[in-house]
Amino acid sequence: MQFRPDADELLGDIAALLEDKVIDAVSGPLQHQVRVAANLARIVEREVRLGDAAAAAERARLAAFVTDDGDLVAMRARICDRLTDGTPMDAAEGRAIYAALVATLRDDLAISKPGYDAWTGV
Amino acid sequence: MASTEDGLARWLGELWGEAVTVDGLRESSAGARRRNVLFDAHAGGRTVPLAATIIPTAEIQILDPASEGEVRTVAERGGVPVPHVHGSTLDPGYVGGPFFVSDRIEGETIPRRVLRQAAALGHGQHVVGQIGAALARLHAVDPALAPTALVVPPGNAPVANAMANLELAIDGLLKPEPAFAYGLRWLRDHQPDEPAACTIIHTDVRNGNIIVGPDGLRAILDWEGSRIGDPMEDVAWPQTRMWRFGEDEHIIGGLAGVEPYRRGYTEAGGTWDGDRIRWWRALVTLRWGTGLAGQSAAHLDGRFRSIVMAGSGRRVSELAWDTLLLMRPD
Repeated sequence: MQFRPDADELLGDIAALLEDKVIDAVSGPLQHQVRVAANLARIVEREVRLGDAAAAAERARLAAFVTDDGDLVAMRARICDRLTDGTPMDAAEGRAIYAALVATLRDDLAISKPGYDAWTGV
Repeated sequence: MASTEDGLARWLGELWGEAVTVDGLRESSAGARRRNVLFDAHAGGRTVPLAATIIPTAEIQILDPASEGEVRTVAERGGVPVPHVHGSTLDPGYVGGPFFVSDRIEGETIPRRVLRQAAALGHGQHVVGQIGAALARLHAVDPALAPTALVVPPGNAPVANAMANLELAIDGLLKPEPAFAYGLRWLRDHQPDEPAACTIIHTDVRNGNIIVGPDGLRAILDWEGSRIGDPMEDVAWPQTRMWRFGEDEHIIGGLAGVEPYRRGYTEAGGTWDGDRIRWWRALVTLRWGTGLAGQSAAHLDGRFRSIVMAGSGRRVSELAWDTLLLMRPD
């Protein structure tokens, strides 16, 4: 087992270095790239902390609609097929799938863009 | 190799038939794939503030610069504010790539600066009304006047064509995205008829492609995505959340609400079709999401290695969220 700092702690340190020191030391397109890189380090930092729970919750939600074989990507592919293969879907099932997708996106956004889901208007 | 100044001076000298010198050249921040340079041209005792858009020859271009110059000129004659185009060339011998030269118009173009100015002057409603009016005037231009290079949707069916392209884009995603599948289903269920008439559309009018001054909208930039299509697609695009820069309650570019925009469009002669606009808003939002996914794919397979393109893949859930918001079940 690796010693501390843990992965999320190191990613936070890398992000802080980029944000606090490197951005001011560079300019132009590279500065934009550094800003993006810092943001990506923050995303992965949150993914390390929140990703497993988010995936488990998504799997549990999808299991209400498609076969659960433990493979989340395959389950996502199945719900996509269910939605687009042209077979009829009653309104209640449509609403339930919609609610599940919204809940999963809230978890995704908590990793990739915290606060983005605060806006629920159009 | 001759400098960009020398190349522009030589080309302008041939265009105007007199000796021209160029100075004050600087790169503008706008444009990811295109080089936008600002400069002063001096000829016969006068100084002309100009801008050149240069397309590196190796780059894939959507619309060649000569045709882009033509569509700007057609729009200008229709009353749309655009920087007047002086001319264009496809010859890479002057500055290393094809280019066109237009008037340089002062004002804010960077979205957050546009928002700051609008907040300080309180002219956001005025600006979005002008954007609406500009779109209406563009859509009133006879499409027969469009340069032949503008893409026409097969069968004059922009709705079906957009759906076919979207299905291809969704099929090509590197990971299945259920929100996009939900979106595709909703778009099929709500697909409108083809428009009564297709028009010239800009496709990218938004905060970030406009020049704004204290007096309001001065010009609409970046006509490279122009094509023939459903005018309601053009009306939908500035309303999407991507161009609000955090000012989500101001639907049009973070500047103001829909009402002054709608009024600007209809008072300038445009016909507003709310259901159709809502459908296009959903489609263009989902399509932008597949575009971001495509950027991450281009990074991953080596076509365009870039940390920015990599980061686009982690923005897909934002567009998935925006898409679902537009499709709430009753």
